[in-house]
Amino acid sequence: MMGEDPETFTQEDIDKAIAYLFPSGLFDERARPMMKHPTEIFPEKRKIQWGEDGRPFHFLFYTGKQSYYSLMHETYGILLNAQKYQDQMTAQGFPPEKEKKNLPGSRWLTKMELEEMLLEKLSDHDYSRFIQLLQKLMMLPYGNNEEKYMQKFSKEIATQLQKVVIEPLKYDEQGVAFSTGEGQRKTARATAVVYDNGSGKITVNGVDVLHYFPVLQDREQLLFPFQFLDRIGKHDMICTVSGGGRSSQAGAIRLASAKALRSFVTEKEVEFMRQAGLLTFDPRLKERKKPGQEGARRKFTWKKR
Amino acid sequence: MLRSVKGLVYHTPKLDRGHALHATAKDWLSSIVSQDVQILAEGSRAIFRTSENDPANHAEYHEGRHYSIPLQEVKAVFPHGLPSPFQQQIRTFNEACLMVRKPALELFAYLKSSSFAHPAIRYVIYGEKGTGKTMTLCHVVHYCARQGWLVLHIPDAHLWVKNCRELMQSSYNKERLDQPLQASFWLKNFKTANERFLKEIKTQQKYVWGKRESTEEGRPLGEVVEQGLARVRNASDAVGVVLKEIKQQCHLGSFRLLVAVDGVNALWGKTTLKKEDKSPVSPEELTLVYNLRKMVMNDWNGGAIVTTLSQTGSLFKPSSAYLPHELLGKEGFEALDPFIPIRVSNYSPQEFESCYHYYLDRKWLQHEKARTAEGRDELRFLSGANPRQLQRLAGPL
Repeated sequence: MMGEDPETFTQEDIDKAIAYLFPSGLFDERARPMMKHPTEIFPEKRKIQWGEDGRPFHFLFYTGKQSYYSLMHETYGILLNAQKYQDQMTAQGFPPEKEKKNLPGSRWLTKMELEEMLLEKLSDHDYSRFIQLLQKLMMLPYGNNEEKYMQKFSKEIATQLQKVVIEPLKYDEQGVAFSTGEGQRKTARATAVVYDNGSGKITVNGVDVLHYFPVLQDREQLLFPFQFLDRIGKHDMICTVSGGGRSSQAGAIRLASAKALRSFVTEKEVEFMRQAGLLTFDPRLKERKKPGQEGARRKFTWKKR
Repeated sequence: MLRSVKGLVYHTPKLDRGHALHATAKDWLSSIVSQDVQILAEGSRAIFRTSENDPANHAEYHEGRHYSIPLQEVKAVFPHGLPSPFQQQIRTFNEACLMVRKPALELFAYLKSSSFAHPAIRYVIYGEKGTGKTMTLCHVVHYCARQGWLVLHIPDAHLWVKNCRELMQSSYNKERLDQPLQASFWLKNFKTANERFLKEIKTQQKYVWGKRESTEEGRPLGEVVEQGLARVRNASDAVGVVLKEIKQQCHLGSFRLLVAVDGVNALWGKTTLKKEDKSPVSPEELTLVYNLRKMVMNDWNGGAIVTTLSQTGSLFKPSSAYLPHELLGKEGFEALDPFIPIRVSNYSPQEFESCYHYYLDRKWLQHEKARTAEGRDELRFLSGANPRQLQRLAGPL
């Protein structure tokens, strides 16, 4: 109907279509209209655990935590099997294999996730006992055979620490090396182009830096990346900046120039710059004013009566 | 050669004092070695001063160097000419050192080669804020004073068009307004600067000041000035008389006249003064401004007119304006046209080095980091090689 192919219509396409057809101004994602499988929207509930005659289905019903104990029972059974297998192997003379499955990219389920899986409440003690059992199973020489079972209770952690790619130097018509960087601070956005073989001249929005930033504090901010790398009189810079006020524009240009200077400098110095805080985006923004208060934090004058 | 030897002799005693605290012989030896290195370095550093104190002999060789003016001469030649930060610096350092820069040398060349039979040439010094226009003017004034010219130095014409408490109607011309305070202040300083001329120049006309006071023909100009100082009411008219007499007698050739006006754009701008009926005053209604405008016209010969544009004290002009046509406006530009423009810009690298070493030598930069190369680079970056910014930065250090 909308020109889409019904054969290859995925859940993502459904979400996009619903967001287009029923636009909503609500802030909470969960309050907006959605079209998903009912099991995704409504959480699983426990069905009734006993039959018509009142007799419970599960043999561990009267323990109170039937799924937890049955899980422990199952896992322990697997552990015993693995130990038996290991004894058989050592009796036959094969050396035990020592392989660690524990890749750094996986973690055990959290208590909340386990509760969701078992549909019943656990205590911290129960949870820790279960995790200890799983780890013991993993430590065993032949524990890796039960990988499939253990995968049910482990999750992969998303890869952290994406390596930041430093762009290589570009060369303009005269053969002078230059590099670009972008920065922002509060509402100011700045782009800086740093040229090599310079004399320390800085141009901002077509105007000399002395005229654009008459205040010393702003010029000190611009000086900081160059002074840190001991390259004060060696580079020329041409920047454009918009938005924000005088101090945030200076901060934005500082970040942009530090990012641009990364290309001229060794990796060790880039690490020093990062530790000095030159390459970190400053996330501070103006805090929202709340109703019932005069400002973001300031309350109205308190009157005793 | 002699200069570098002088530099060595000048600096060794200081180094000895500094290094005498070393205890061990090894340290002493190493300090001697470093002394040699330092002497070699400082021999080249001593080239920020020159002993040539007569501006007439300043040449390109002296460019970037500081020359000192004896304090007595400062009081005699510049009773009111120097900018106040520089006056404070003179008091602090106990010496008045001016840097020889290219615009001033250019002006000297023009002054030396100009013929005084032709009408006076007008020079307009312009440039961005804080680049040294007033100091260049003071350099020229010093040169002319040494040469024996009569110097008519108006330190800041903006003072005459704003902040005047007393405005009186002129007795000479009903249309115009007098400013007794400013006029008497200027007369006092003029008298200090040009004592001997006031005795030599004689009036050519009789001037009646009031019912019982008058100056006869042939009396020395000093009397007119005394009259203006004694009777403050007539001070502005006294100024007018002085200017007229000097202008009339200049072409006779007994003396050369230099008209040095700082902030000449005040003469053609607007004023912040108001008459009693709250109507705004235009500059030509002020006696002082009217007479000064006549001086700045090039209808006389036997001298030169050197003026400076200034945005700092100007009224109703944006702070980014520094070009002649921006600051003078149409009227002023046409009045001053034709003139020779002289551009003054920020310090060149050598001039910056010179100023930096001068401050170091005077022990004005106390911070330890200020002595290092990185400190120097930082100062250069932060001041943008602007003389005023550098002077203000170096203050707290």
